[in-house]
Formats: sequence, C-alpha cells, structure tokens
Amino acid sequence: MLTRGTLIYIGQRVLLIGFTLLVVSFGVFAAVHSLPGNAFISEKLHGESLQAVLHANGLDRPIPVQYWDYLRSALHGDLGQSFVIQGQDVTPLVLRELTVSMELGGAALLITVGMGMLFGILAAIRQNSWVDYTLTTFAVIGYSVPSFMIATLGILVFALWLPTLTGGIGYPLTWTGTYGDIAQLSLPAVALGLYTSGQVTRITRAAMLDVVQQDYIRTARAKGVKDYVVTLRHALRNALVPVTSILGPLIVGIIAGSVVIENIFGIPGLGKEFVRSILSHDYNITVGVFTIYALLIGVANLGVDLIYTVIDPRIRY
Amino acid sequence: MATAVVPATQDYAGGVLAREQMSLWRDGWRRLRRNKLALAAVFYLVFLVATAIVSFFWTPYKPNFIGACETYASPSGAHPFGCDELGRDSLSRLMVGTQVSLAVGLGTALIVLSFGVTLGLVAGYLRGAVDAVISLVINIFYGIPGLLVALILYIRIGAGLFTIIIAISATIWMDMARLVRGQTLSIREREFIEAARASGARAGKILFGHVFPNALGPIIVQATFVIPIAILTAAFLSFLGVGVPPPTADWGGMASEGLQAIRLQPWIALIPSFALSLTLLAFNFFGDGLRDAFDPRQRR
Amino acid sequence: MRPSQLKIGGMVLGVASVLTVAACGGGGSTATSGGLASRQVLHFPILQDPKTWDPGRIDAEVDSEIVQNVFDNLWRFDNNLQLVPDIAMQVPSLSNGGISSDGLTYTVHLNPAAKFNNGDPVTSKDVVYSWNRAAALRGPYRSSLSAIAGYSAVDKTAKAVCGKGLDVTACDTTVEQKLAANDPTFAMSGLKATDPETVTITTSTGCGWCLAAWTLQASVGSIVDEKVVMNDPVNWWSKPGGPGVTDGQVGTGAYYMSSYVPKQSETFKQVSGWWGSPKPTLTEIDIDIKDPSTQSTNDAAWEQGTYDLIGYGGDSTQPIADTLRYQKDSRFSSQLKLTPKGRTTWASPDIGNPSSGGPFLGQSDAAKGLRMAFDLAIDRNALATTVCHNVICVPQTGGLIAKGLIGYLGDNADPLAKFDPTQAKSLLHQWDPTGSKTGSLKYSYNTGSPNDNVATFLQSQWSTNLGVNVTLDPHPDASAFIADRLSGKYVMARDGWQFDYNSPQDWFDNLYGSLASGANTSGGFDPVGDAGPDQVTYDTVLAKADAEQTTQALPLYNQLSQLLIKDVVYWPLYQSVAQFYIHSYVQGAGSTTQADYYWNGISIQSH
Repeated sequence: MLTRGTLIYIGQRVLLIGFTLLVVSFGVFAAVHSLPGNAFISEKLHGESLQAVLHANGLDRPIPVQYWDYLRSALHGDLGQSFVIQGQDVTPLVLRELTVSMELGGAALLITVGMGMLFGILAAIRQNSWVDYTLTTFAVIGYSVPSFMIATLGILVFALWLPTLTGGIGYPLTWTGTYGDIAQLSLPAVALGLYTSGQVTRITRAAMLDVVQQDYIRTARAKGVKDYVVTLRHALRNALVPVTSILGPLIVGIIAGSVVIENIFGIPGLGKEFVRSILSHDYNITVGVFTIYALLIGVANLGVDLIYTVIDPRIRY
Repeated sequence: MATAVVPATQDYAGGVLAREQMSLWRDGWRRLRRNKLALAAVFYLVFLVATAIVSFFWTPYKPNFIGACETYASPSGAHPFGCDELGRDSLSRLMVGTQVSLAVGLGTALIVLSFGVTLGLVAGYLRGAVDAVISLVINIFYGIPGLLVALILYIRIGAGLFTIIIAISATIWMDMARLVRGQTLSIREREFIEAARASGARAGKILFGHVFPNALGPIIVQATFVIPIAILTAAFLSFLGVGVPPPTADWGGMASEGLQAIRLQPWIALIPSFALSLTLLAFNFFGDGLRDAFDPRQRR
Repeated sequence: MRPSQLKIGGMVLGVASVLTVAACGGGGSTATSGGLASRQVLHFPILQDPKTWDPGRIDAEVDSEIVQNVFDNLWRFDNNLQLVPDIAMQVPSLSNGGISSDGLTYTVHLNPAAKFNNGDPVTSKDVVYSWNRAAALRGPYRSSLSAIAGYSAVDKTAKAVCGKGLDVTACDTTVEQKLAANDPTFAMSGLKATDPETVTITTSTGCGWCLAAWTLQASVGSIVDEKVVMNDPVNWWSKPGGPGVTDGQVGTGAYYMSSYVPKQSETFKQVSGWWGSPKPTLTEIDIDIKDPSTQSTNDAAWEQGTYDLIGYGGDSTQPIADTLRYQKDSRFSSQLKLTPKGRTTWASPDIGNPSSGGPFLGQSDAAKGLRMAFDLAIDRNALATTVCHNVICVPQTGGLIAKGLIGYLGDNADPLAKFDPTQAKSLLHQWDPTGSKTGSLKYSYNTGSPNDNVATFLQSQWSTNLGVNVTLDPHPDASAFIADRLSGKYVMARDGWQFDYNSPQDWFDNLYGSLASGANTSGGFDPVGDAGPDQVTYDTVLAKADAEQTTQALPLYNQLSQLLIKDVVYWPLYQSVAQFYIHSYVQGAGSTTQADYYWNGISIQSH
C-alpha cells in the first residue's frame, strides 16, 4: 500500500499544504493588521500615549517587517503574545482551545457519520416505506434548518423544559473545566453534527440503492440471513466511497459550524476565536487560528485521499 | 434552454450529439414533472418570487415602521405573525425579507457561475500550466474561511448586500470550478470536439459553443444548490452580527434577533426560521429533482 | 441461624446514620446554623478575559470590578458613594486638619493593622512607591495624579525613558529599577513618606476632585507591594497571590487570585484573618470567562441554578428579553435588581472636524440650526419606552452628567432633551429648504445591544419627524469605531461616557476642550479648527473649576454645561440602567451607580 508512488504523492501534498499555510498566514496577517483600530485604543488611551503603546508593541512597523519577525518565531513554535490579554502566550492558549474544538468536532463527526450512515442504510433497506420517507425528510431538515436554530431549540427543550417535567434531570447548561463531560458535550455535538449528518444520510442511501436492487434484497432475504448480511456488507463498503469523498467538506462544515455552536454554548474552543479575535484586534491569535484552520483542512483532505486507497484498491497515486 | 442547443446550421458532426443532448433535456423535464416533491418545491419558489415582487409595491404595514403595534405583540387579527421587539409588523418584514434572501441567493449563484464556470472551462481545456495555476488558486481558496472574508470586507467596505454576496461567493466558487473542470476534462476527449478543432474552430467558440452546453446539466444542478448554501451562510453571518445591516428586514437577522427573545415571544424567531427552512428545503428538493431528472442512470 | 443482637443493633445504627447523612448532607449548600450555607462559594460569569490586573494600567470595567476586591486605596467609596477610610485612618478635610488651610497639602495617617495578602505590612513607602510607579507607567488613568507637585516632571522623564524604542517588558523593568534605586527624577516631589505610617501629599494647585480621583478603585491610587512588584515587574499581577507569595498578585484586599486559566476561568480565595472590615464570609469566588454572545445561555444557566448571580464584573447589560421575562415571572421577579448606572449616552454631530464634511460643521447659524433640528426631532420618552421598555434605560433630561451625580442639572432641565417636531421641521425648512445638505447623512455606531435598536429608532424618528432619510453605519469592531470617532471620521455618531468618580471634572476634562488628552472624544470643540471665543471660554472656565473645591467649582461646571447647550454640541439620549439577576439566597450583592458591591459583604444563605 505504501508504494513509492504514494510516498511521492504524500510529499507533493505536504509541500502544497506548506505553501498554502504560508500564503494564508501572510494574507491573514496583512489583512488584520491593515484594519482600522487596534487592541489598545480606548476612550482613555488615545493620541500620543496610544502611539507610545503601539510603538512599544512593535505595531507601527511596516507589515512585511512585522510578518518576518512573526514567521521566524512561529517556525520555532512561538506564535507570539496576545495583545488583548497582556502577557499571555498564544501558542499554549491556541493549542489548548484546539483540543477542545477537536473534542467537540470529533463528537460531531461521530454523530454525523454514525447516525448519518445508520439512517441512510435503514432508509435504503426499507426503500419507499414510511421509514424511508421519515428518515430522508429528517435528513433534509437537518441541512435546511440553521444549526443555531437547532441549538437554541435544543437548549429550550432539553435544558429548560425537560427539567420541569422530570423534576430536575435535563441538559446541564454549563461547561466544567476545559473539556466538560459527556453530558455537557451531548447537545452541542448533536447540534453541530445534525447539519452534515443529513448529507451523509442521503449519500449513503443513494449509494446503497445504486448497488443493491430492491429485488436482489428480497431475493437475498428469502435465501437466508447470511446472504443478506453479505449483501449489506458489500453495499456498505460501496457506500463508504462517496461518503469518504465528502468527508473533506464535512470536516470543513463542522469547523465552520463550531464558530456558532461554541458561541451559543460557551465552550472554550477555537471556533469562538474566529470572530472574537478579529473584532478585538488580537492579531496573533487570529493568524494562529486561521493558519491552524488551513492546516487542518489540508491534513484532513490528504487523510481522506489516503483513506481512498484503503477503501478502493483500484485507486493508486 | 433545450432549443438553444440545436444549432440552426450544422457545420460539423457536433450536430448529431447535440440532438442527443436535446432529447436528454426533454426526457429530464418529463421526469422532473413526475417528481411530486420537486414540483411542490417549484410551486413554493414561484410563490416566493411572487411575494418578493409584491412586497416591492405593497406590504400590510411599512416594514420599518416602528410603532405599528406593541413590542413583542402576539399574533392577532391585525398582525397575523405578531410584532418584533421594536413594534414592527412581522408579516410585512417577512415579505420584504424574501427580497434579501432571493437577492443573496441569485446574486451569489450569478457570480459563482461566471467565475467558476469560466475558470473551470479554461483550466480543463487548456490543461498544463494554466490548469496547474488555477488548481493551485482553488486549493488556496479552500483554506480561506468565508467568515474571515466576510468580516474583513464588512469592516473595510462596510455593511451591505453587496459585501455579503461577494464574501459568500468567494468561499463557494471553487466547487463549481472543480466540477466544470472535471466535466471539461472528459468532454474535451470526445470526437466531436476533435472534429471541431480539426475544422479550425477557435478555442472560445469550442468552449462556450460545445463544451459548455454539454456540461450544462450538472452545472445547473450545482447552481441550484449554491442558492440555499448562500442563503444559509447569509443567515449565519447575520447571526454573528455581520450580516445585512439594520433596519433591512432579512430572515437571518430577524431569526437571530428573535432568538434572544425566544422565551418571551417565540414567534419573532420561529416565523423567519420557518420561512428560511422552507425555502432551503424547496431549493434542495428542487435541486434533487433536477439532478435525478438529468441523471441518465436513473430508471424511474 | 439468627444474627446476633449486636449485629442487628449495628445494622440498625448503620442504616440510621446513612439515612441521616443522606437527609442532611446531600447537595452543596444545606443548612448548618444561623441560615448560612456550609459552602460559601460564589459562582458567576463574566464576558471577557482580563486585559490587565495591574492597577497602574487598568481601564476596563470588568478588570476593575474584579480586582477592586484585591487592591485597596487610601480611601474607598461606600455603597452610597461617600468617601470613607480604607488603608488611611480618616478622610482628610479642612475641618479635621487633614487638608491644610491653603488646600494644597494632605496629611494621611495609615492604619497600622493594614497588611498585604502575603503577610507583608503596609508602610508609607509602599504608598509613595505605588503612586510614583503609576505615574511613571503612563497608563490611561495617570491623569488622576496630575495635580500632585512634581507629576509633570516624572511624566516627562518616564516618557523619554520608555519612548526610546523600548518594548513593554523593558520599559516596565527600567521603571522598577529606577524606582528601586530611588532615582529622584522618578519621584514626585509632592509625595513624601514623612514617617512609616504617614504620607504627605502636596498638590501644585487647588484640586477639588483629587480625593475622589485618588479613590478610584483598582486604579492608579491603589496600593501595591513594592517588594513583590520588584521581583517580577512585568508579570506579577497575572500570577496567584496569597500567603508567602513574593512575586504574584499581592494587594491589601480581602481576596487574592488563586488561579487563572485564560479564556476559561478565574478563581479568587479569601485572605484568612483579613485586617479590614466587614470580615469576608465567602471563601471562594469562581468566575467563568464567557463571551458577549453567550449572555442568553448564561441567563438560562442562572435560572438552572448553575450561577449564583449575573451582572457582576461589568456584565450588567443583559438581553432585554430576559429582563422583561423575569419581571413577569413570579419565580424571578424578586431576584431582578435594577440599578441606574452613571453612564449616559448621546449622539454627537461632527462640529469640529472639517475633513468629514456634513451640515453640522462649525458655529454658523445654519449649522447650529440644523443641529437643533435633528436634536428636537428625537422623542426621548418614546425611545426609552420602545427600545428600553423603561427597564434598561431611562431618558436623560438633565444634561450630560447622569442623575444622582454632582453636576446633574436636574430633571428636564436640559433644553436639548426636549421633543418638538414642529420646531424641528421649521428649522430644517429654514436652513436646508432643498434638502440637499441633509440628503445623505450617516449615523455611525458600534453594534451590540441596545445600540442597534437605538440606531434603528433614531433613524425612524428622523424619517417620521423630519422627513430626512439617514443611513445606518454599524461598526462590529468597537475599537475601529472609537478610532474613527476620535479622529473625527463621522457626521453623526453614538457617544457616551461612564463616570469614574463623582466629580464633574471627570466628564468635562475628558469630553471636550483642549484638555481632553489631545484628541477630543467627540470633536465637539476642535482646538485646531474652530477656536472661536467659546473654545477659549471653555478651557478657561474648566481650568478654574478644576482648581476649586467641589462646592465652589459647581457653578463653574454648570457654566460649562450651558456653553455646550448653547452651541448644541450633543443630542442627549438616555441614562443606562444596570440589571442584576441575583438569587435570593445571595445576601449583600448589588451595585452602586459606579461599581459592584464588594465581595466581602456577600454571603450565601442555606437553600
């Protein structure tokens, strides 16, 4: 599997990712540094004393110079300091938030793929039955209702109404520590994963239907359980290909959705930094966040392409 | 649409295949008509466009009129959908909101079509260095999140419909470009294209006269899906506070403002969210129907 | 076989004790005695991380309201905003001899019991050091010390030293070195430690506002531990304090920071055996760092019981829908506390910045007439009712300064707060008959609640009452908005001020005139542009007023108010009202118009 061709391919892709990171980090750096305003100005701190503070932080130098400094320390793992929380290093902060987002995103991905494929399979097996229509409609609703709507309704139902019915048991609307616990993770993960799971359901169902004819299933069932299971396994394997093909966009969708979900539930992850760091002019965090984002997408896409070789032996690089 | 493909004069063998394509259209249309969900979606969309047009000239109350009713009023005879937190009639704002949603959807689709199709055609036809450069640009754009573009544009250019359309287009044109590139790569190998080249037709004429029409099916389907994505993204931007500026009534903005008051007056958030979801559903069902209709492999 | 009686007895005893424990020991805060809960931990959310906890540099409300419980000043404001002693034994005045008869010298005796939370005693050297350091750091509030003799010299020296391309770290370290070496150029000549428990402060001019400014909590007047700061001049304030700490957040307050996880949480613990009073009951304060967009979720969490209160730490503007809901809900209506804030909001037309154009520029009759037209077209009562539901804001009708503060002109005393659409329309017709001057105006503001709705409301007022269409110009980036406003890049902008200490000086010095730190908040009077007679008068009167004691100064400050009114420099809108959601089992929590009540007055009853 790990042929010379594959290695060359991986090498090329890694180079591409590196190049993309450079372009993205410089682009974001220049873009946010050129926005009017900064992290220090306030009604009390302006004019000449503001200039002194900006100068002390090196923010009045030309942008390429600042970027060069930034790049040099970034390559050593030092992503600079926050301009908003004075004295805090960005690298440990961003890494910690990244793990929290990965926790949330991973849970959402599990729900997306797990629930999505399960529903798709069920819908395909029971094609054109009420099960099929219900699950398909549920899937389409999943990606037609904005996730912030689902999240808010979820909070309404599970955190506020449910406890009045069950006498106190409901979704705990809090996040303890850095990583929360399973119960606290449940609702945000579902809200985040519902949108993409709908797409997975539809693709799985379509792929299964492609392979498994209705008659064939009926015949297989009539012939016995073992054939049935074999057929299903074959169909499933086939469904993995198109699902894997959208895995990249799925991950992108989950990352994008995390911005809103983390905001609503108050989860200390990277998603909420997307908007907050730009609006508060915390340049180093912004550049760090978006560079990591580009890295994640690049790695995810590469991973997906490599998974293809496992799933479909015909594909070689 | 179907007739435009059939050239008046047939200079080259392309004519034969084009006629095949035409019967594919007729076939597809027949199949689409039989798809009940897609039909229902079409009716809803027509109703939507009609509402948008009507709302230009008339709404029950002026949509930005503060004081039309009590703040947070519940639905009543005079105000079937109640009123929002500033005392503006929700029905009127809902109607006007269709304009914004359709504008965002269609505007984005237009830009995505122009850029994505052109770049895809060029990349797929010329291949080589041009293709490599365009593909590199596409890959880089994949790494840029739309949110960043939207925020930066918002802060620099200012709020507005134009800003949002540009921001959303910048994040989703790549899929169209890749699709068209893929189609072009396969279509260019067909004999009628070779024949066209052999007979001396210019590249532009080949691209837009022959390659493009033969790829039209998937392009239209993709474009149909761009619209709900654009509308949904605009709703997200509104939720994050960087959407269409007030006081313009847009569903995303109404929904996000209403979410804070959802326990005080749920209608404020539920009505535009429902409209938003219905519209997205309609576009999705319609797109599905189109795709099924044009898919030569479908038996039904 | 029958179990022995001993065994049965043992089992019964065991079961009984288990039942007793289950009945009495479950949950976190059940009764012990006298109504106090056994677990005295306060849990609440705030909406942003600390910018800095160095009192010499703090300028964010969230930061000062937190570490006002860690650092003390010589005096403090009680819950009625009256000056009372803190580290000092008494509030100096002319009558008790604390202030000399010429009004220039203050003699302060320190409380010998005062101690830092690491055990170090407080001496006069710490006071002198803290104030000299604050002046040298040149933070946003250093002007509070500007009346002290020798301040300008120190300011100049510090500027020269820190301005020479030194980065923040090097600047801080250099300042500390100079102070440690007792460098006289870094010591204000008017600040002396006459004996270990006495400090003498000499001002260069009379200063009626000085005591209030020096008392501003968690600011330049706060006392820090010289030995501790020396050990880590750059990061001492971000590290935990407490017993035996030599380089952390060491102050004289009843609490110290015990842990801080950026973007996640802060924890503060009680100083055991604290020297001050009232003695603290809460043992720990758990603060979750959230985000402005999580306010609705935080409110829901408060309803669930996760949070004990909402509103502390600068989070006192809640989504209005939640406040309205609690008002109507019998479970929560008694737990909703509304406190007027010392914060007023107005709209500023661009008068003194020619570059942005607009019809309001300058002092011509036309410009003034148009300013008046736009001002009179705003119905403040309708604004307070429609946008704020008279809950989160009330109409501001007594000038710029908020009600309840010195300098408030009185209810309905401000002619600019009137609503007169007829007069407004006639003024518009008179000065812009064709509508060409007012055809394409923009109202700029920073987004957030309730600014968006206020802006929309203003737009509809000008449309309905004047027939003028104003476009809205929202800025989601607050700092870009402030930058633009300070450099005059607007035609009409949202403007406002929140008072720091109860003196009109805090308002008039910072908002208008040449004194306003070199760049006016609102460009109302531009020293470069329209330096007409009014400009000069404003500066002269202000200088005189600042030098007098408050009672003598008041008529002068009122004169300034009249100047601003006469020139229609601002369009008053509303005064903010803070909303606090406090569960009934939390006693002693609340707020003055200025700041949260201190933590050492809060206790948790059993519930």
